[in-house]
Amino acid sequence: MPTTETTRSTSRSVGAVLWDWLTTVDHKKIGILYGATALVFFVLGGVEAMLIRWQLSRPEAAFIDPDLYNQLFTMHGVTMVFLVGMPIAVAFFNYLIPLQIGARDVAFPRLNAFSYWVFLFGGIFMYTSVFAGIAPDGGWFGYANLSLREYSPGPNMDFYALGLQILGIGSIAGGVNFITTIINLRAPGMKFMRMPLFTWMAFVTSFIIITALPVLAVALFMLTFDRFWDTHFFNVMAGGDPVLWQHLFWLFGHPEVYILILPAFGIASEVIPTFSRKPLFGYAIMVFSGVLIGFISWGVWGHHMFTTGMGPIADAFFTISTMIIAIPTGVKVFNWLATMWGGAIRFTTAMLFAVAMVALFTIGGISGMMHAASPADLQQHDTYFVVAHFHYVLIGGLLMGVFAGFYYWYPKVSGRFMSEKLGKWHFWTFFIGFNAVFFPMHWVGLFGMPRRIYTYAEELNLGALNLFMSAMSLFMVVGTMFFIWNLVRSWRKGEPAVANPWGGSTLEWSTTSPPPDFNFAELPVVRSRNPLWDNPEDYDERVHTEPAGGVHMPNPSFWPLITAFGSAITLILFMTHIWWMPLVGLAITAVATINWAFEPAG
Amino acid sequence: MKVHVYEKAFLSIGGGMLLVFLGALAFATLGAGIHLPDRAGSIDPQAVRTTPPFDDPGVREIAPGKYEVVMVAQAWSFDPAEVRIPAGSEVTFRITSPDVIHGIHVEHTTINVMVVPGQISEMRYTFREPREHLIICHEYCGIGHHYMYGKVIVE
Repeated sequence: MPTTETTRSTSRSVGAVLWDWLTTVDHKKIGILYGATALVFFVLGGVEAMLIRWQLSRPEAAFIDPDLYNQLFTMHGVTMVFLVGMPIAVAFFNYLIPLQIGARDVAFPRLNAFSYWVFLFGGIFMYTSVFAGIAPDGGWFGYANLSLREYSPGPNMDFYALGLQILGIGSIAGGVNFITTIINLRAPGMKFMRMPLFTWMAFVTSFIIITALPVLAVALFMLTFDRFWDTHFFNVMAGGDPVLWQHLFWLFGHPEVYILILPAFGIASEVIPTFSRKPLFGYAIMVFSGVLIGFISWGVWGHHMFTTGMGPIADAFFTISTMIIAIPTGVKVFNWLATMWGGAIRFTTAMLFAVAMVALFTIGGISGMMHAASPADLQQHDTYFVVAHFHYVLIGGLLMGVFAGFYYWYPKVSGRFMSEKLGKWHFWTFFIGFNAVFFPMHWVGLFGMPRRIYTYAEELNLGALNLFMSAMSLFMVVGTMFFIWNLVRSWRKGEPAVANPWGGSTLEWSTTSPPPDFNFAELPVVRSRNPLWDNPEDYDERVHTEPAGGVHMPNPSFWPLITAFGSAITLILFMTHIWWMPLVGLAITAVATINWAFEPAG
Repeated sequence: MKVHVYEKAFLSIGGGMLLVFLGALAFATLGAGIHLPDRAGSIDPQAVRTTPPFDDPGVREIAPGKYEVVMVAQAWSFDPAEVRIPAGSEVTFRITSPDVIHGIHVEHTTINVMVVPGQISEMRYTFREPREHLIICHEYCGIGHHYMYGKVIVE
């Protein structure tokens, strides 16, 4: 039946609830699944980070053995980038894009479910290696030729090559889905230049995803072929070139950085105007600078390779392109400041995180400029200075933005507020802990501590600073605990929220909290950039109960789950090195895909 | 499209700073003589130990006050692990790897270059003060990565 239920019934059996979530194609539920799964991986990645800090707390320590240590730092990087950073951004994309553009779902609801299940099974696949003690151990960028079979004979790097491959498939499918949704499903009157900035940044990010991830896919295929079938793409002994891997990886890897940070820019661009009671300053420039960042992100990868020996001409080119990308990024920072300037600012937890994001990202951006200058980079390359830099960008930028997003949209998702009191505790412990851990890391790096090092000599005199950083990292753990407790507790016990609790200006605040399955009983008509501020009378009187004739919604489907499951099984069987084994997994995928194709979509 | 006057101001300041940075960069590279790493030649990684000059790694005086250090970075050591040179000498490092990618970072100097098998990496630096510098492998190269270090002793 094309109609769907509108109320959250409490009397359904556990089995029915489970079946509902396993077969859901609702973008809101998939968004929640993405967010919850990413948070689980966030905790796992955090535990890895704490073990790393424990090992580094003393010089010449041996709390854990070097083999495990190498697996921990590799998996920490892989987890935080591929299993936390991207999925948590996609969680927001999923939940918010249809609501912000006034649509009832994404363009391809079942493909959306497939993306999620691929992400889940890909993540489980990677983590089986961790619990079996054979996790990838070649660093998150897996430089060839160390990652080839000759130097990494175990199954460790196979998990890396195959796991990232399958995670990439899910991301690319998601990118296609969001682009199609944004182009085709906008509500009447929602012109491109009226779209909320978050949706704009999601749009740009999706384009980077569908163009950058295939580059990684190609590199991973080459690595897989080298490892399984003795091809010689990166094998220098047979005439291959290990530097080719570096170019391919960073050609993907630098756009990836913008895949991670643009969603946080989008979130800040929603939170700051709402809590300043002012429209976003310089909307057009904010949009175009985002687009420009998307384009230039393709021309800067070489700044990861200044020490590789590309020569002065290439170094000069990448220095210039990297410095140019700072201009559109800097404009954004100034426009957020100008948005706050003279506004009626309310420092809610969401606003605190958004403002912290602007400040901390700026610090990370400035140290980024220091790397961009190739002669300066020679003293910083692969030291802890770089580690400090990208944690300022990814925690200070991405994660602070994501926290702001959680506090800001939680009332919309659950119908209840997160506790402001716990939120302030979360903010201050995390903020202080983060800066105390990562600011001294700049010095440690400049004093000569290389990254990815199991332990360091006492003569380097880095023991005291390292001990301090390790101790302060406990603050971040406490902050995260406040956050998770706040999320769980507020789901049932938070203060109830109305449809537009913060006085936001975008369409998601015009429907009920939480929104009905069909989002809007009647599709909204948009007449301006900030519809709820400029034309509140259009939305005030709306009721979002199901209209008499029902709303035509897509049917739930079990096949995306099975298709994704088959793909993961294929990979696991591939690891047996028996050529026909993967065919079993492929058969599952094929059956599921055919059933998917012939199933009525609703 | 309306571009606000503040935005114009910021864009000009940003662009202007970029030009200043680039000027400083040009000065550092051309005027102050900072040597950017470059590919100085190719070598068969399987024959490193039989190809001159890598068949005999070590320190050589090539002209008064000018030294050449021929070095092999391998899993997981530098050969030679200790380099002694007099203060004030200009030293050219020529280095390669017979196995995986390594890095050489000489602490408190601008020497930081990746050592790629099949490629000879070259760096030049003038050591002015007498002191000890630690040589560290900066490119993760496997389980013994943290053992891989050496020393430059400036006398």
